[in-house]
Amino acid sequence: MSSHEKAAPGPTVIPFGPQHPVLPEPLHFDLTLEDEKVVGAIPQIGYIHRGLELLVEKRDYLDYVHIAERICGICSFMHGMGYCEAVETILGTQVPDRARWLRTFWSELERVHSHLLWLGLAADAFGFENLFHASWRARETVIDVAEETSGGRVIFGSAIVGGVSRDPGDETLRRCMKAIEPVRAEILRLAQVWIGEPTVRHRLSGVGYVSKEMAYTLGAVGPMLRASGVDYDARAQGYEAYGEIEFKPVVETAGDCMARVLVRLGEIEQSFRILDEVVAKMPAGPVSVPIKGMPPVGESWIRLEQPRGEVLYFVRSNGTRQLERFRVRTPTFANIPAMVEAIKGVSLADVPTVILTIDPCISCTER
Amino acid sequence: MIEREVLTVEEIEVSKLIPAVDALRAAGWRIIQILGVSGADHIELNYSFGLGMQHRILRLMVAPEAEVPSITSVFLGAYLYENEIRDLFGVKIERIAVDWLGKVYDPVEGKAFSKITVIATSSEGGPR
Repeated sequence: MSSHEKAAPGPTVIPFGPQHPVLPEPLHFDLTLEDEKVVGAIPQIGYIHRGLELLVEKRDYLDYVHIAERICGICSFMHGMGYCEAVETILGTQVPDRARWLRTFWSELERVHSHLLWLGLAADAFGFENLFHASWRARETVIDVAEETSGGRVIFGSAIVGGVSRDPGDETLRRCMKAIEPVRAEILRLAQVWIGEPTVRHRLSGVGYVSKEMAYTLGAVGPMLRASGVDYDARAQGYEAYGEIEFKPVVETAGDCMARVLVRLGEIEQSFRILDEVVAKMPAGPVSVPIKGMPPVGESWIRLEQPRGEVLYFVRSNGTRQLERFRVRTPTFANIPAMVEAIKGVSLADVPTVILTIDPCISCTER
Repeated sequence: MIEREVLTVEEIEVSKLIPAVDALRAAGWRIIQILGVSGADHIELNYSFGLGMQHRILRLMVAPEAEVPSITSVFLGAYLYENEIRDLFGVKIERIAVDWLGKVYDPVEGKAFSKITVIATSSEGGPR
């Protein structure tokens, strides 16, 4: 090759993150591009790993629930609840009916506020500021209800081994359901924007496709999995009060960013219906049973459905007050391989949108 | 319709891992996760698979110096779990499809979740 001839341009590697305007938490990709098209992506996590699983060996098993709740600030209650369920399984503890129903109430409340948080962040990722503001304004009322019923806006603090620590009372629950009625109407209005607005459809439809086969074999979970046509939702196991209420997973088949939006919009409305039913059927009675002594030697595996998908808890006891092992496999951790798949083939400008439609929670991932 | 979770745990030899995982893939199972638990002189690996509400665990007991084949040739999505287990427990996993070369939790070094390391260093007054 003579000195004036230029070499053919090869692939370009663009670093994405760990600090990026659309990412509230650190996550990094090495994106390999041909022109503007992503042809490869290598993820990197681990920037803020906290070692919370290891901490279980140092804390009393009844107190550790406070740490489990702090794995994540969005699905904090469900992390606490999942840990409690795992420990209760080893103990053989039967939680009172009212506690099971209250756990279901707070779980669905958390799902609504998590999905609204995500709707806002996703709109922000493609520059739709009004939609971002409207989603977060609606979320604020849901957070108010969380505070009134549990005492906490971020960390509810109400899950304990043996039940729940607080009973808001039937009258408070009914008043809260009235308070969030306007939010339901507002979300229906926002859904029309998400579904009907051409600029939104242009950014989301046909973008970030993951096939049903790929989502399944890569181990995707939650809305990521159901948006690709897989009818799986861990709530169908019937844990807590889910076995006694109407429930059917929300499933879409397009496998693109818009399908993931539609699944979450459907799940918000579904959660409101579950909340209605839970408050209407709330049984009377105590909300906890006393837990004494040490857990027996044993292990338990629990799977729950968080807003971002199936989460798995493993607990092993050695018969002392400090558990031998606690493991939480969070939904974002499981969704990273499918997220990499969704990024391949999109243009560089669409990468933030595709990442946001997975609803990544790095705090959970870096437990 | 409510489907209660059905959990089964099966302990297998390392040499049976790939054939067992192949059979699960062929039967329509999906990967849920891989869990490491450290014993005093061995690492326990638990491979979780799901099919509907069924949950099957394949359990391996491996010596610290043993090599374990990667299952990413069967379930590509397992690469995160395998990289994590190698970093936290020091288990040697061969031929991971997406290999971070021990840098998942960079710059954390060592085998933070392995108790084998604790036993080896505690008498010397070394860090965990």
